[in-house]
Amino acid sequence: MITAVKKAPLLRLSWRSPQASGALSVLAGIALWQLVYDGLARTGYLQVYAIDHFFVSPWQVVESFAELYRSGELVRNCYFSFLEFLYGFLLSVVVGVPVGFLMATQEKLNNFLDPWVSCIYATPRVALAPIVVVWFGLGIFPTSLVVFLGAVFPILLNTYTGIKSVRRNLIDVVRAFGGSRRQIFLKVMIPDATPAIIAGMRLGVGRAVIGVVVGELFGAEAGLGSMVYLYSQRFQPGPVFVGIVILVVFGILTFVAVEKLQRWLSPWYAYQLQRKVQGMEME
Amino acid sequence: MTIVSASKLVVQNLRKSFHSQRSVGPIQVFDDISFEVHPSEFISLVGPSGCGKTTFLRILDGLIPRDGGTILLDGAAVIKPGPDKGFVFQDSSLLLWRTVIDNVILGLELQGVSKREARLKAEQYIALVGLRGFEQHYPHELSGGMQQRVNLARALIVDPQILLMDEPFASLDAQTREIMQAELLKMWRQTQKTVIFVTHQIEEAIYLSDRVVVFSARPAKIREIVNVNLARPRALAIKRSREFLDLADRVWSLIEDEVLKSMGREKEEGIL
Repeated sequence: MITAVKKAPLLRLSWRSPQASGALSVLAGIALWQLVYDGLARTGYLQVYAIDHFFVSPWQVVESFAELYRSGELVRNCYFSFLEFLYGFLLSVVVGVPVGFLMATQEKLNNFLDPWVSCIYATPRVALAPIVVVWFGLGIFPTSLVVFLGAVFPILLNTYTGIKSVRRNLIDVVRAFGGSRRQIFLKVMIPDATPAIIAGMRLGVGRAVIGVVVGELFGAEAGLGSMVYLYSQRFQPGPVFVGIVILVVFGILTFVAVEKLQRWLSPWYAYQLQRKVQGMEME
Repeated sequence: MTIVSASKLVVQNLRKSFHSQRSVGPIQVFDDISFEVHPSEFISLVGPSGCGKTTFLRILDGLIPRDGGTILLDGAAVIKPGPDKGFVFQDSSLLLWRTVIDNVILGLELQGVSKREARLKAEQYIALVGLRGFEQHYPHELSGGMQQRVNLARALIVDPQILLMDEPFASLDAQTREIMQAELLKMWRQTQKTVIFVTHQIEEAIYLSDRVVVFSARPAKIREIVNVNLARPRALAIKRSREFLDLADRVWSLIEDEVLKSMGREKEEGIL
């Protein structure tokens, strides 16, 4: 019969909620970090072993953040990195989804492209990054290319699998009504494959953030990755941690954004998954 | 030349074989099947499992090509699938991302009818299958029986000349199945559609049909066509009547031979 679908309230302000526990855990971790630093600072080891060249307190990270922000360096680096991420990721979607679709539907094209996809996918992107920089120099474009190389494959392969696993009987439904190939594509294949494509994009954003850092390590005019590299060479851990924290937060935000996109585009899919999980538990 | 016939559907000398990687030659699914269906008749197809009932139904719809023979629907040859035939699929074949009403309108939408107009028409069919109030529900929110009701409404909305049903109640529990059988007969009376119903349940076939076509084991031929002369409308209690049980016995004994035969053959082929 009908199962009522309970909608979770947008924000649960209970201390027992998972969100509150999560926040508490992070705050406790930061507090512990600060305590460890303060403890070390009291002993004098900090100066003796030059630990402050490698290790900072959370508060010093905040101070570095303010400093970098005031000088305009941080904004510039974020701007560069964000553009690299954006261009690289968009290109991955624009290339990965259609190519994945064509490979899934055109057998000959698949046979032709498959070895290339496998080869480039198997190549560690870190090994490709230096040569990309050597070929294309410094700037936003080469790093975007490294981002693209990281993000395109999960998207391409998930699109391929998504289209390949479109339910055959649903295609037959449209065929039985005399539907055209175009209608089969629009009414069944695309909607049925959407969850898989978005799952690929979710993997892709993670790879893209890695790509930004890797690309910039091997040479860049500006960017968070190059900032992290530069300041660690100068033994200034404050700005290094600023860069890392921003990358982490950005990674989480993009991941959540894609998840929201999933729920918005295919709300039915979450229920289906839930049901599958419940079914497995029962078995 | 037009063929003058009082029959709704004429099947003549239908042949079909498949190529399988496991066997050397083609596997003959059926050879030379001929029969006729009258307008508004309810026909069931039964036979031993694997005899090609579903394949046969798909060929009638045009979903699978045939090797030879003629299929005439209202005197016109059936070449490809289309809205003149309504197909009700075995399992849940609803589009999971569409609500009940948007699943029902699919056939009209594919014909280019505007969604607004189609939804207006859908209300009537949703009421017919007893799902009023569930228009905005998604398939995952419905029980198996309700999903099959949506399937039925979806097939009926295009006003097909013939309804082809492929074991539509196979995955339902026994109680729901009985209720759906009675409901189907009620809808059939209201819509006056010609129905071809594939099932492996003999009792279901007899309860629903005017005639039961019994297929033989592969390569399938028509073993016999059994007339069901039970008065209509039929209450579910009729299934316990003497007449009904005799008919069921008769159909079962026809199939039993075939089942034994097909088991013997499968042993030879090394399938079992």
